[in-house]
Amino acid sequence: MASLLQPDRVLYLVRGEKKIRAPLSQLYFCRYCSELRSLECVSHEVDSHYCPSCLENMPSAEAKLKKNRCANCFDCPCCMHTLSTRATNIPAPLPDDPTKTAMKKAYYLACGFCRWTSRDVGMADKSVGTFNVVDRTSIKAGCNYCDFSVILCVKEKYGLGTRLQRQRPGAPVSALYGLSLKEGEEQKEVSIEPAQALDEVEPLPEDCYTRPINLPEVTTLRQRLLQPDFQPAGASQLHPKHKHLLMKRSLRCRKCEHNLSKPEFNPTSIKFKIQLVAVSYIPEVRIMSIPNLRHMKESQVLLTLTNPVESITHVSLFTCEEGDPDDINSTAKVMVPAKELVLAGKDAAAEYDELAEPQDFQDDPDVVAFRKSNKIGFFIKVIPQQEEGDVTVAFKIRHDFRNLAAPIRPSEDGETPSEVIWLVHHVELSLGPLIA
Amino acid sequence: MPLFEVLGSGGEKTAVVIDLGAAYTKCGFAGETGPRFIIPSEIQRPGVQQPIKVVQYNINTEELYTNLKEFIHMLYFRHLLVNPRDRRVVIIESILCPSHFRETLSKVFFKHFEVPSVLFAPSHLMSIMTLGINSALVMDCGYTETLVLPVYEGIPILSAWEALPMGGKAIHKELDSLLTEQCTVDTDSGTGHSLPTVIVSEEVVEDIKVRTCFVSDLQRGLKIQEAKFNMDGTAERPAPPPDVDYPLDGEKILHIKGSIRDSIAEMLFEQDNEEKSIATLILDTLVKCPIDTRKVLSENLLVIGGTSMLPGFLHRLLAEIRLLVEKPKYCDALATKSFRLHSPPAKPNCTAWLGAFCICSLSKAEPPYHLVSPLKQSHMSVRNTPSFHRVLKLTRQGEVGEFVFVSMVLQGFSLFPMMIWVTDNHPSPTI
Repeated sequence: MASLLQPDRVLYLVRGEKKIRAPLSQLYFCRYCSELRSLECVSHEVDSHYCPSCLENMPSAEAKLKKNRCANCFDCPCCMHTLSTRATNIPAPLPDDPTKTAMKKAYYLACGFCRWTSRDVGMADKSVGTFNVVDRTSIKAGCNYCDFSVILCVKEKYGLGTRLQRQRPGAPVSALYGLSLKEGEEQKEVSIEPAQALDEVEPLPEDCYTRPINLPEVTTLRQRLLQPDFQPAGASQLHPKHKHLLMKRSLRCRKCEHNLSKPEFNPTSIKFKIQLVAVSYIPEVRIMSIPNLRHMKESQVLLTLTNPVESITHVSLFTCEEGDPDDINSTAKVMVPAKELVLAGKDAAAEYDELAEPQDFQDDPDVVAFRKSNKIGFFIKVIPQQEEGDVTVAFKIRHDFRNLAAPIRPSEDGETPSEVIWLVHHVELSLGPLIA
Repeated sequence: MPLFEVLGSGGEKTAVVIDLGAAYTKCGFAGETGPRFIIPSEIQRPGVQQPIKVVQYNINTEELYTNLKEFIHMLYFRHLLVNPRDRRVVIIESILCPSHFRETLSKVFFKHFEVPSVLFAPSHLMSIMTLGINSALVMDCGYTETLVLPVYEGIPILSAWEALPMGGKAIHKELDSLLTEQCTVDTDSGTGHSLPTVIVSEEVVEDIKVRTCFVSDLQRGLKIQEAKFNMDGTAERPAPPPDVDYPLDGEKILHIKGSIRDSIAEMLFEQDNEEKSIATLILDTLVKCPIDTRKVLSENLLVIGGTSMLPGFLHRLLAEIRLLVEKPKYCDALATKSFRLHSPPAKPNCTAWLGAFCICSLSKAEPPYHLVSPLKQSHMSVRNTPSFHRVLKLTRQGEVGEFVFVSMVLQGFSLFPMMIWVTDNHPSPTI
């Protein structure tokens, strides 16, 4: 029975640039546009960075400076697991008295998964617990290329300062080295030294043909590519890297530019500052029980409808008309209840409040099977039209929605502050295979 | 921090540089000494065992769009960790990339990620920018193919390109078949099983290639080729290197024969029925180039691409070229006999990525690449030109919302073809 509650059994249609069908739990609802939005029709933005192992939030300026890497945590270069700092006691001579030895703590990094340690690459043990793997790219030997690009930047800078005059058509194309300068400024002669080509290339060492390979000593391609600047071939040159950060995303509606989802800054918190998810605004349809479905025989399917908001909601259902462009997947005819269904509001305190009077809705027993706080069960009749394959039905739901976003104009006394608008959604249910 | 951040106008966000290769993608920020990440160009879908390759030229647009969108989403939000809307994008790609692929990629960037601008830069041109020279003969040994393109005074000589489908993919296929034929596997149920009982994925084959194989030098290589093609078995193969025991997922051990290790790379240098090999590509290109350019080009060779990182590759390539140039086919055609190789400041698989820095540092102004083409006019104009002259020539008029190819001359470096997203803004009056 739990398979009936699978999320992709009931799909809601999102009318964005592309028509997307997704379960309600994966959709967002923009209450300013009053439309459903899926992950494809919202724009994603990076909200905050945090380290996945120490769960420390990093402000974006610092993240940019540190190249999106955590300062304290390291990754094993062999297996990419997080490294832990271990301590051993080693005898070391006391600073005042060289003859006596005392136990001192020495820290090193070790991987709990593949048993790699920082001693394997020759990193000295530290007496303080913090490690700082120096970013070796900054020490990399200066190269011709670097000079070239410096020069281009310098020229650019000078060039920009002078540029507001327009190039007249027909004027000669100004070459790279002939930028005009402002008066009073000196002509800076910056020369680029072109690289020199080599006549000979180093051949393979002779023992390459005869020496047996020690496979654990040779790095795999994946290990090499983790360090793009050096790509070492030997495992003894694999230095650990700082751990890469993860980020939290915020979502924004493309049309009205309002935030649909904004997570909290704190990495340990799973709450959201803004959380405009569809399940908290749109009534959700779920399948409760399906009888045996037979070709061209009418069967009754029990569905439930849940009201997520705290006010009373009126829902009416319609079948899709002939030639409805949204209705492409349905393989059965469906008859929905014609009357309007009324759903009670979600009341969190209802179960504790024993003295409350049960609300009395006159329910037609043919239509409404049961009613429980903000949920009702109702019947639809399904006639499968095809002999084989899965049965899919589609219908439209129309419900009222109270927009609780702050009203632009101040309301006068006596007027309801929130307007009621009617929303229509296209819902598709997949009811499973036919029984022969 | 990007190396030269202080030189740029303060606070400007550095552009994102992406080199989309068939096997691996290099991504990072402009101004750094190397890409931040080199990741396989694949996406993993839930429920599907095999990862899906992103760079495929034959699939339909819808699927390509979805794959590219997912891949670039992962690039931005898992690896680069920046907002796509803030930064300009430079894409390094091969000149032979089909327009359909470029258009889909641009659509993904502009429509879905809403980046300010996209610049497509040819990889061969970018790689010579790292050397500070204007002319070179660039050979890109990649995954799908090896492509040779000469660049003279900053302009790619498009008529002289040469390509062979000899790359990482071909090596993997050949290695897979050799392993299946010749090697045995020890499993826990016994020794000496043949390989087909154990399925080996391409990732494992690639790893075997990277860790155990190498390229022999010229003399040895020629002997190996002779031994292979000799029908009556008179030629003797030089002594093979030692065998390797390669562990496959913990329980199984694959015994790789030593003879495979040095002979697999020979396929790159074996001349096929049309007498083409990687080395002849360079000479054929030289023959196609104008005579005045040949001397400069032959003395400025540059090799990029992941496949060229096999140990011994460069030495062998140079030796092969020098041998082949003495053959009658080339001896008369080419007067120049001296060949010199450049060593770029980055690893061969990142060289093209590195060159993009020059393009980024030059275009400081606001995106000048959102352009125009008002439907009536047949030329384009450029807003906010920075310091140097830009000339844009439309190849055809475009409708709004389309992509049009443009050839652009930027400081004497010609970048083409380039793609422009046609908006309906009216042009400013002058350049």
